[in-house]
Order: sequence, then structure tokens, then C-alpha cells
Amino acid sequence: MNFSKRISPATDNPVDALVRFEDVKKSYDGINFVVKDLNLTVSRGEFLTMLGPSGSGKTTTLMMLGGFEQPTLGHILLDNRPVERLPPETRNIGFVFQNYALFPHMTVAENVAFPLRYRGITGIAARERVRQALGRVNLEALGDRRPAQLSGGQQQRVALARALVFEPSLVLMDEPLGALDKQLRERMQIEIKQLQTSLGITMVYVTHDQSEALTMSDRIAVFHDGRIQQLADPATLYNEPANRFVASFIGENNSLSCTLLAREGGLAVVRMADGTTLKAAGTNVSGTGTDMSISIRPENISLAGEGVRADLNRFIGKARDVFFLGDHMRLSIEAFGGQLVTARIPARQARHFASGADVVLECGISECRLLEV
Amino acid sequence: MWLPSYATPSERLMRTLVMAFVIAVLLFLVAPLFIIVPLSFSKDPFFTLPVKEYSLRWYADFFGNARWMNAIFNSAVAAVMTTILATTLGTLAALGISRPNFPARRLIMALLISPMIVPIVIVAVGSYLFFGQFGLTNTRTGLVLAHTALATPFVVITVTATLSTYDTNLTRAALSLGASPSSAFFRVTLPNIMPGVISGAIFAFATSFDEVVVALFMTAAEQRTLPVQMFSGIRDQINPTIMAAATLLLALSIVLFAMLALLTPRRVK
Amino acid sequence: MAVADMDRINVFMAVRRAEKPARRAALSLALPLIVFLVVAFVAPILYLLVTAVGNPETRQVLPRTLGALETWDGVSVPDEPVYAALAADLKVAKDNSTAALLGKRLNYEISGMRSRVLAAARMVERLDTGPYKQKFLELNKDWGSPESWAIIKRNGTSLTPYYLLTALDLQQAPNGSVERVQGDQAIFLDVLARTLFVAGLVTLFTLILGYPVAYVLTIAPKAIAGIMMLMVLLPLWTSLLVRTTAWVVLLQSDGVINDVLMALHLTSDRLQLIFTRAGTVIAMTHIQLPFTILPIYSVMRSIPATQLRAARSLGAPPSSAFWRIYAPQTLPGVVAGCLMTFILSLGYYITPALVGGPRDQMVSNFISVYINRDLNWGLAAALGVVLLVVTLAIYLLFLRLVGADKIKLG
Ligand SMILES: Nc1ncnc2c1ncn2[C@@H]1O[C@H](COP(=O)(O)OP(=O)(O)O)[C@@H](O)[C@H]1O
Ligand SMILES: [Mg+2]
Repeated sequence: MNFSKRISPATDNPVDALVRFEDVKKSYDGINFVVKDLNLTVSRGEFLTMLGPSGSGKTTTLMMLGGFEQPTLGHILLDNRPVERLPPETRNIGFVFQNYALFPHMTVAENVAFPLRYRGITGIAARERVRQALGRVNLEALGDRRPAQLSGGQQQRVALARALVFEPSLVLMDEPLGALDKQLRERMQIEIKQLQTSLGITMVYVTHDQSEALTMSDRIAVFHDGRIQQLADPATLYNEPANRFVASFIGENNSLSCTLLAREGGLAVVRMADGTTLKAAGTNVSGTGTDMSISIRPENISLAGEGVRADLNRFIGKARDVFFLGDHMRLSIEAFGGQLVTARIPARQARHFASGADVVLECGISECRLLEV
Repeated sequence: MWLPSYATPSERLMRTLVMAFVIAVLLFLVAPLFIIVPLSFSKDPFFTLPVKEYSLRWYADFFGNARWMNAIFNSAVAAVMTTILATTLGTLAALGISRPNFPARRLIMALLISPMIVPIVIVAVGSYLFFGQFGLTNTRTGLVLAHTALATPFVVITVTATLSTYDTNLTRAALSLGASPSSAFFRVTLPNIMPGVISGAIFAFATSFDEVVVALFMTAAEQRTLPVQMFSGIRDQINPTIMAAATLLLALSIVLFAMLALLTPRRVK
Repeated sequence: MAVADMDRINVFMAVRRAEKPARRAALSLALPLIVFLVVAFVAPILYLLVTAVGNPETRQVLPRTLGALETWDGVSVPDEPVYAALAADLKVAKDNSTAALLGKRLNYEISGMRSRVLAAARMVERLDTGPYKQKFLELNKDWGSPESWAIIKRNGTSLTPYYLLTALDLQQAPNGSVERVQGDQAIFLDVLARTLFVAGLVTLFTLILGYPVAYVLTIAPKAIAGIMMLMVLLPLWTSLLVRTTAWVVLLQSDGVINDVLMALHLTSDRLQLIFTRAGTVIAMTHIQLPFTILPIYSVMRSIPATQLRAARSLGAPPSSAFWRIYAPQTLPGVVAGCLMTFILSLGYYITPALVGGPRDQMVSNFISVYINRDLNWGLAAALGVVLLVVTLAIYLLFLRLVGADKIKLG
């Protein structure tokens, strides 16, 4: 497989750029590159998320930006100055670590006051700043506690307060919500996003949770195997995945192999394994040939209605499994010569299908995307 | 070494100094052990390096001497008996302590570990006076009893450590499959905790084989152990035959240590 | 009492009852070792405690005398019946040859008493009838000293504080008051202080030498850390006697260390290293070093690397990040390692005996001397009690601060 196709962020305005990675490569062992050829610009005030599976090089990238790892090749510019040789303490970047890294031998207030003393802020001024920072995360009352006496969510807020108290212009977060339960995670996502906008901070945020990325980000960089697979805003990423990896990593997806027959205007005509021809959108795919696939999201497939419409693909399959899930029904269909297709049918359309029954389905042509395998 | 490229010169200097210091300390730890090896092969009866001429005369002396041979025999017998006793008692106790509902665990653990803590002379004198009441001083039985008391903490610690990683569900599974409690123990539990038991046994053996002070008090000439023979030798007039004995003890320690290392894949980092 | 409380108590009791068989089964597995240790380890130590306060000699040898002394006023010279009883007791003692035992015991508290008792025993053998008082006073006028009689009477009790007091450089005056022993008799507090001092010094040195080693162990690449670990554990495995032997050889005045010092022109004369305090402390530091390193290393290993990174991302320079964030978190390991080394150093015997000089002997060595050379078991036992109390006090501190289950073997 080859997921290397990359959409380069040529649209960025260099004047606004706060962070630039220029041809950054990183290897720990001198043999394997865990970050390969990274080019990325983060604009001032932007919320940029690095999204990708575990081991894809997100943390490594963040550590290089924070100053804890050195790029093997390439440059990192902060405010148009190369920073590879700057020690972390001089970069003035807020960092929220994966397990918070709160100092266990200090109280919450001491933790938050820690960065202030290195910036010459002491005494009453420092106390005021700490109070303010804890206020922002609703923890005014817990200044005298030790980190071990706090819940996971509270620890998370302290880490946040500590990273923000010295008003850095850039804040990095490495899976900051990974250890929290779902409900709390969703609340914190909103709080962090609000803090970021209201304080005008530039944020580089790492997560492997796609819904988190989609909720919070201005732009998302999808990482896989040490490379950015696609860099785009959440809607584009979801609706127009650049390759099969992105399509399958973001949201649920049916990936069906096919052969490209012809191009008609902006559309592609493909033949499925069983001979069915479908039309698909796919402007960014070049060449013709057999090694192609189309991707269709389950929620874009519905039961065929009355009459034939030119903007819809229609196909037949046999029902395999049917699950009723309250607000929708999941239909597992065997189609195109034995490939399994999952459809997500809204509850109001739901009907019972016996296993093996024929089902006629349709989906919008613009929602079938042709991708290189 | 192991420094980021942005390290300041003073950081680099500091790191270099720390490295040099650590290497020196590691040499301080290891070098003295091996100083006795060349001396034991020297032809001259002096303790100076470099050795001018090598010979095996001190080893010939050692192996040709009935007293040394008898001492080795006594040490080996006492150590084997101690190992059997201490491993059995210690393993059983560890099995009990590791159960979730063991009563007064902290207190009893403190008692079981205390032979490691109490000054050895107190154990020696106490044993000498107490066992004397029953005619057990200057007997092998008395020595083995005292050594076993000293060795059990090591067994308890190693087996408890192994049991902490043992999945109790394995025993439950064996019982659910129809094994009796004893056969579940011997066929499922014991094989799984064997590395810990053997480590404990090796510790117990080494404890007894190396022990001097209790042996000094509890033995007469007939039961004299190798360390006692060495101790008296050094006290009277240190001679190169003792270097040969020390080298052999060192070799034994390395063998036992290697066995232990093979048993417990060490998790550095 | 409220019904709810009753319910809670009933539930609690029911839980205790339900768990009883399981608790019993668990305990029964540990019972053989517990019993064994009580018999082979605790009993000898208790016997040592009893020996430290035991006082059988006077009661055994002078039963009649002690009886006669009951009515004595404690200030005047006793009357004839006391001397007659003494003569009768000594006659029996002469037959059982227990007079020497009594003489030795009383001699601890009244100098010259050993020969006085033996001479008196020889005298009474030749006497058939009294009056005895005159004869005793003629033999030695000290038989008329009320102080001597007071001490004899005091030793009629089955327990004596004498040995424990002596071990603390205290003594009981004939009138019963406790006072400090004067002059060159007062040696034991010195010995105790020396033991504590040497143990403290060794602990300090192992910490200074060991802390950086533990730190580098945590940051070194795997392969190098493995080799370093081997270098730390191998000495731990080597017999204490072998390590001490190595130091005896190294520290000789024509030994390797002196050779090196001379070759480097650091000294012009060969240094006296063997049989010195310095030599003892060096050898003990070498032996104890792994005990200090391992607990520190195990704590350091559990400190996440992000702690230092977080400190630096917040603006702390390297040294400040180390001292304010890293070092305080290693404290539990430092406490565990140092307490362990201190406890073990208190009980050193072999190394001071072989490497130290006469002025470097520790409490353990004195205990051994009183057992083997002076045959003064009571005093040996009392010194043992003092050493044991000090050690157990620190062991309790260790249990409070660290816990017995934290002791690991490499
Ligand atoms: N300090 C390190 N030394 C060696 N390899 C590392 C180190 N940190 C990460 N790696 C490797 O680099 C790759 C990327 O890891 P990472 O950046 O942590 O990924 P992510 O954060 O996306 O899960 C992984 O294969 C990981 O094993
Ligand atoms: Mg990561």
C-alpha cells in the first residue's frame, strides 16, 4: 500500500506563520525514520491537531517542537527563527504532557507558580497570577492540595493552568484528555477550545481520537507512518479524504475495490468486481487502472426510493446482518461479488429484512469517492 | 553522551564530570574483587602487583591440605541442608503471605525479614548461649538451624516477589478443571513460581556458604567452615593460600550470580 | 445504640466470620516458618536479653548468707550469724567448686573480691567451729566493710541492672544510687558513639558515591545500563569475607594502593592504611555501596521522564529542574537506601576485626571479646541489648518510612 500522497498546505500565508517545520526528519536509531519529511506551517491563533494512530510520530513531532528531541535533519522555525539549538526553557512554549507531569511534591499552587519564578514574577504578583490561572480552570479552592489528592479531571485542569499561567503564545498538548472518561473528555474539549479562542493562543494538539480532532480543530494533520497524509479543515477531511488511509481512519467507511473505466467531466466511471458500473467523484486521482477503490460512508447509503435519479448510484445486495440500534439500523449487505457493505439507515426508514433477502440501495455520486489503493 | 544538541557548555562539562565520577565509582566497586585473582596465581608469597611469575602452588597448597578440604566439605553440607530447610519454610510462608486475607501482614512480614536486620553478632551470641543449653553448640545441627534463620528472609522476599506477578486465576482454573488443591499447587502454581523459588534457594545457599560470624561461634575444629578457616587465617598471618581460597569463593559467587541472572531476565529500564 | 449501627456491626462480624477459614489457611502456610523463627531466632535473642539481666551466682552460692543478711541494718558491720552463714555457704561452694564463679561475679563490682572469696573458701575448709567473724576479719579486714556487704546483699535478687548499666558506662553505688563511671573504665558509650559515627560516615559516603551511579543507570542506554547493573550487583553477590580479604591485601603498607600512591608521587612515604579507621570506612563503604544504590535506583526509575521535561518547558534551567523537581522526588529512595546501609553498618564485625585497629572496633567486636576472651557473658549480652535496641529503633523507623515489603534483592 502507498499512503504517501500528501496535500501540501500551499495556502498558508508566511507572514502569519508562527511555527514552520521544513523538511524535518527524525530517527532515534539512525536506521528507521519515525518522522519522514515533515513540512508544516502553523498560523498564529490557529488550533491545529495532529491526528493519527499510536506510533505514527505525533509525540515525536511535538517533542521536537517543544525542544525535547532534536530533528535529525531539517529545520524548525518559531517566529521565523530556527530553534533546533534552543533549550526548552528558552522557547516559552506551554506544554501539557500526556500524563500531566504535575510535580507530586508540590501543591497545586506551587505547581502553577513554578514557571513564574523563572520569569521574575514573585510574591503578590505571582500569587495573583496563580489565582487567576486557577480561576480560569475553576480550581480556585484547591490551591493547597497535592496533585495526588485530585481527580484525573482536576489534575488535567492544573496541568492546563500551569501551561497557561505564563501566557505563552504557543501551547502544545499531547493527548491531554486520554486518561479521562468520555463525559469529562467531551466537557474538557469544549473548555480547552474556549480557552484557546478567548486567550488567542496558538495550539498544537495531539490526539488519536478522531471525534476530538473534529470537534476542536481549525485544521487537522493526519499522521500515519511518520508522514502527514492530509492536512485540511475537519469538513474537508471528512468529506474529501485524500487517500484510503484517511478515509478509513476518519469516520466509518466502506472501501470497495474497483477498476477505473473512464472519466466524464469531473466524475469517474468505475466497474465493480461483479461488473456493476458506478460513478464516483475523484478529481485528485490521476491515471487509470485496476488498483483503485471507492469509499462510501455508511450514513450516505440509503434504501432505494421511487424512480431513478441521475445524481445517485443504485446497486443490489443481499442482506446479511441487521441490527436495530435505536436511532438507526445497521445493515450489513453482501454486494459487488462478495464484498461486505455496511449501511446506516435512519430509524424512520427501518424495515425488517430476512437474512439473504435482496436489498436495493442507493448513494449520492458525489459521496462515492474514488481513491488510489 | 546522551545530551541534546542544545546543551550548554557548562551542562556538557557537568555531564562529563558526572560520567567520569560514575566510572570511577564502578571501578571502585569491581576492581577490588579481582585484585585477589592474580595474587592467588603468584609464585611469590607477597601481595604486590604486578605478579612477576605465575604458578599454581597456592592452589596445590589449598587442595593438598586436609584442613581446607574438610572446611569446604563442612561448608557444602551446611549450605545444602540450610538451602533445603530455608527454601521449604520460606516458600510456604511466602505462599501464605501472598494470599489476600493473610492476617497482620505488615507485622509478620517485619518479623520474617528481621533476620536480615538484626546484627549478625547478636544472632551468633544468642545462638551460642541458647543452643548451648541443649548441647547444640559445636554441632552441625546448631549451625544449620542458625543459618536457616538467616537465609529464610531471602527466600520469602524472592518468592513473594514472584507471586506478586502470578495470576491466581491459574490456580482457580486448575481447580475448576478438577485438580485437587495439592496437585493444582504442584502442577500449576509451583512450575510458575519456580524461578523465584530457585532464586531464593541460591540466595539461601550463598548466605550459608559465605557466613562467618555465626559459624565462628557455633563450630569447633571438626565443623569449621571455609569462611571460618579463612577468617582465622587472615587473623593469624595472611598467606597466599587464602588468596586461592578467596578466588575460588569469588568464582563460586560469579557462578551463582550467573545462574540467578539467567533465571530472572533483568529489567533494566 | 442505633439500629443502623447494630446492623453495621453485625455485617462486619459476619464478614470476619466468613473470612476466618481463608485467614486461617493463609496463616497456616506461614506458621511453620513463624514457629521456626520463634525457636531458632527469637528465642536465642530473648535468651540474650535474659542473660543481660540474669544474676544467678550469688543466690546459688550464698543462700544462707543472704538469709542472714535480711535483718542486717545496712550500715554497721554484720554480726556473727552472717559470718557463720557465709562460712557454711563457702564450705558447700568449695565442695561444688562454685566459689570461683561467685568470686568472678562479685569481682565485677568489688575489685579484689575474687581472691578474697577464694581465700575465704580455703580458710573455712580448715575451720570446724566458730566464731567466724573474727577469723574473716583477720583474713582480710575488708570482710568488715559495710559497702561490700551491701553489694552482696543487693546481688541476692534474681535480676540485676549491673550489666546494662555497665554497658552504658553507669554504675550503682553501694547505697543504690546510679552514677556515671569515671575515668578509663568508661569505654562503652565511646564504643557506641564510634559505631554510630562509623555507620553514619559509611552511609554518607555510599550516598555521595551511589547517587550519581543510580542516576546514570536510569539514563544510560539499555546495554550500558545492563553492564553497569552487573558491576553493582556482582560485589553484592561476592562473599563479604572475600571483599574484606581484598581490602586487607589492598591496604597493606606494601600493598597495591600504596604502590599506586607512590607511583603517582602523591605521598613520599608508605601510608599506614591497614588497621586504621580510614581503611575500615573505605572497606565498609565498598561493601555497603550496592545497598544504597539499589533503592535509590528503583525510585529514580519510577520518576517519569516528563517531570524534567515539564520543568524545562515551564522555564527552569537544567540545574534548577534537577534540584527542584528531580532530587526531591528521589528522597524516598535515598531514605530507604541510607537507612538500610546505616542499619547494616551498625552490626559490622568482620571488616573492623580484620581491617581496623584496636581503636576502630565496633560494638559487635566488643561483644565477641567479652564472650570469647573475658567469658563475661552478662556484659556481652548487655552490649548486645544496647546494639539491638539501637538497631531495632532504626528498623522501626525504616518500617514506618519505607515498609518491609519494599526490600528488594537487586
Ligand atoms: N525515545 C525513543 N527512542 C526510540 N524510539 C522511539 C522513542 N520515542 C518514540 N519512538 C518510536 O518512534 C515511533 C513514533 O512514536 P511516537 O512519536 O511516540 O508516536 P505517537 O505519539 O504517534 O504514538 C514509534 O515507533 C516509537 O516506538
Ligand atoms: Mg504519543
